Amino acid sequence: MSLRSRGQENHANEDSLFKVGGVFLKHSFCALFSVIGVCWAVICCSICNVILLGWAMLRIQNVLLNPGLNCGFDHDFLPGGMTVVLGRNQAGKTNLCRLIAGLFTQADGELSLNNAPLNKLSPQKRSVAVVFQAFVNYPNWSVQQNIASPMVAAGKDKAYIQGRVEELAEKLGLGELLQRMPNELSGGQQQRLAIARALAKEAQVLLLDEPLVNLDYKLREALALELRSLLDDSDTTVIYTTTDPKDAFTLGDDLLLLDGGGKLQAGAPLSVYQKPNTFAAANLMSDPGINTFAWSTLSDQAFAQQSQAASDISQLGGVRPEHLFFVDKGEFNAAECIGFDLQVSALETSGDETFVHGLVQASNQGMVNQPSWVVRSPGMLNFSQGQKLLVAVQKRDILAFGGQ
Amino acid sequence: MANIILDELGFAYPGALEPTLLPLSVEIKDGEAFALLGASGAGKTTLLNLLSGLLVPTTGRILFNGVDVSSQSGSERNLAQVFQFPVLYESLTIADNLAFPLRARKAVNGFSAVDIASRVAKIAGELEIENLLKRKPKTLSLFQKQLVAIGRALMRPDVSVVLLDEPLTAVEPRTKWQLRQSLKRLQEELGVTMIYVTHDQTEALTFADRVAVMADGKILQTASPQEVYEQPAHEFVGFFIGSPGMNFVAIDSAIPAPMYAASGVDQFAQRIGFRPEWARLEHPPMTHPLSAVHWLGRVTHCQILGTQDGVPVGITTLASEVGELKVRGAINATVGEEIMVVVDRCVSFCAEHYVATHYAQSSTSQLTNPVGNE
Repeated sequence: MSLRSRGQENHANEDSLFKVGGVFLKHSFCALFSVIGVCWAVICCSICNVILLGWAMLRIQNVLLNPGLNCGFDHDFLPGGMTVVLGRNQAGKTNLCRLIAGLFTQADGELSLNNAPLNKLSPQKRSVAVVFQAFVNYPNWSVQQNIASPMVAAGKDKAYIQGRVEELAEKLGLGELLQRMPNELSGGQQQRLAIARALAKEAQVLLLDEPLVNLDYKLREALALELRSLLDDSDTTVIYTTTDPKDAFTLGDDLLLLDGGGKLQAGAPLSVYQKPNTFAAANLMSDPGINTFAWSTLSDQAFAQQSQAASDISQLGGVRPEHLFFVDKGEFNAAECIGFDLQVSALETSGDETFVHGLVQASNQGMVNQPSWVVRSPGMLNFSQGQKLLVAVQKRDILAFGGQ
Repeated sequence: MANIILDELGFAYPGALEPTLLPLSVEIKDGEAFALLGASGAGKTTLLNLLSGLLVPTTGRILFNGVDVSSQSGSERNLAQVFQFPVLYESLTIADNLAFPLRARKAVNGFSAVDIASRVAKIAGELEIENLLKRKPKTLSLFQKQLVAIGRALMRPDVSVVLLDEPLTAVEPRTKWQLRQSLKRLQEELGVTMIYVTHDQTEALTFADRVAVMADGKILQTASPQEVYEQPAHEFVGFFIGSPGMNFVAIDSAIPAPMYAASGVDQFAQRIGFRPEWARLEHPPMTHPLSAVHWLGRVTHCQILGTQDGVPVGITTLASEVGELKVRGAINATVGEEIMVVVDRCVSFCAEHYVATHYAQSSTSQLTNPVGNE
């Protein structure tokens, strides 16, 4: 809970800075003053938090994650909270982790932890722990020795180590398995061991590089929630990389979107979801991807023009798959919704949800740039291929994008 | 094509105390798309290896079209297999890769070069990979390679069964559905018997005509995807299918019997199960029908999955007198708040086995039709 509220403060902060940048000319001066007020309060508050509670302030500046880029980005990671770094393969997620950990990488940039430069420190001297996608443990050491290893290396005393090993093993459900060797553990247990070892280092920064990707989905689901509650009451600044937008909501206090080695957007998961800056950001936060249409082709031209005017560069309209719903011809409210004719081409179902893939028909003048759409609908639906359906979206859920 | 019968088929590794696969019987119809679904360690791969002839059953028989093939080799069984990662001949072109199974059996089948070429063209056309035929595997993406591997498995028109072992693992999540769709279309058009092994419920439920859910070396249920989801034969099936799985609540003295009686739950049932999407959260004053099972819960966690009508929707986790409950839908309560969990529909279990389905009466009309019939 405390992490959550901290996360939100941080965003209020960022949002307001963003507004000062210019967009908010539309807003009244009243709003301006209140925003600045909130902004100050939040800044003071977070500074106090950092100083009083020792949350690690990790700052990266002018970072180039992939080779061949010429414009770097800056980011301050949420102190003491969990930042989910979301990006596709090759977006630079692993390079970011390796850069922070001090491992060999093609990424480059300036790092500082609590305002002290980090770049010149060797990996061992950095207060950073890492859990990789592959399960990495010392194969010839028992679970107990594995968890103890970072503390032994740091020269902690025996009694402390023993107590801490038991505590961590208990937390991660390894209490009964202390004498086992890593190869006698299941995949989920091996990864928990790697996490326990990383926590044992008591580093100020914990990097989790797609830690759950190699696990069964049922286990992934359980472990993601466990991880969240495990880190809820820790002071560690956590960075969690993933390709799955769901993780952003499940785990993130804060979200950083990466694309092609650059920063797309950052903020609280829900605010990024509701107000994506670009089409790329919206699409990255959407699984399956965003459905798009050109404004000029919309049946409700009055609405199209109004939306375009509101964001004067808008060329493209977008609809999230979960915002579409099936309606009967007669019963939908044209004042609040826009309808599209969809011809079903494929269905996918997980039981609790169905993805209906289909082509949006040209008949409603909705000649869509990318004619294949997806509707994400709760429950187990059963349509036949080729079936024609009317889908609708609330006008307020329609996103407007500029170029690209 | 073959009709496959597993007759009391069981397997234990030599020296193992416990059998890996307990004796199981199931019939897979000719031309059926059949999925084996289960977590790792459930016995899926052992069952697949028994089917492909890599392992010899300890007990029971495997019948292909009524013929006992239990002791036959894989090639005698005339089956084809697709693996997790595409396995292609790197030195051959795609066309030659596809032609390979037919050429290798030329002596047996008597295919002429013309026959082979036309079959290659047909399969490549079905999978829409005609433009790749002259290329070498190394120039293809993983997705295209797996498409070719599937095509090669379907080359022999007389193949008895195609076994697929997690064929989409290596494919990028966003393109999975396309490959699955091609596979499904081919399966229907060619009428091939396919057995698809996966731990992914979406793949199993989407691909298969029938799904067998496995756990601990047993098949717990074999049924249509819809039945597996709505009427799990066993509590584990209810837990395993769905994300998150079913909520379970014991019927005992702690819960007022009249509530269950009003909802029509059988007196012999020991537990009820309900999916997170079968319940909703309601603030006082209550408007739920009396026949709906309900408890007061305190919100412990909200997992947002998106917004609907501008309101966040997702999974709300609550602590209640009957344990932890998860509800899917609009998130209309904050952490720490008390709110009523109203169950519109549930299933009951006795000794972990399915008894019946129950609907809260006034909302029946809306709930009996979650399946959008035409």
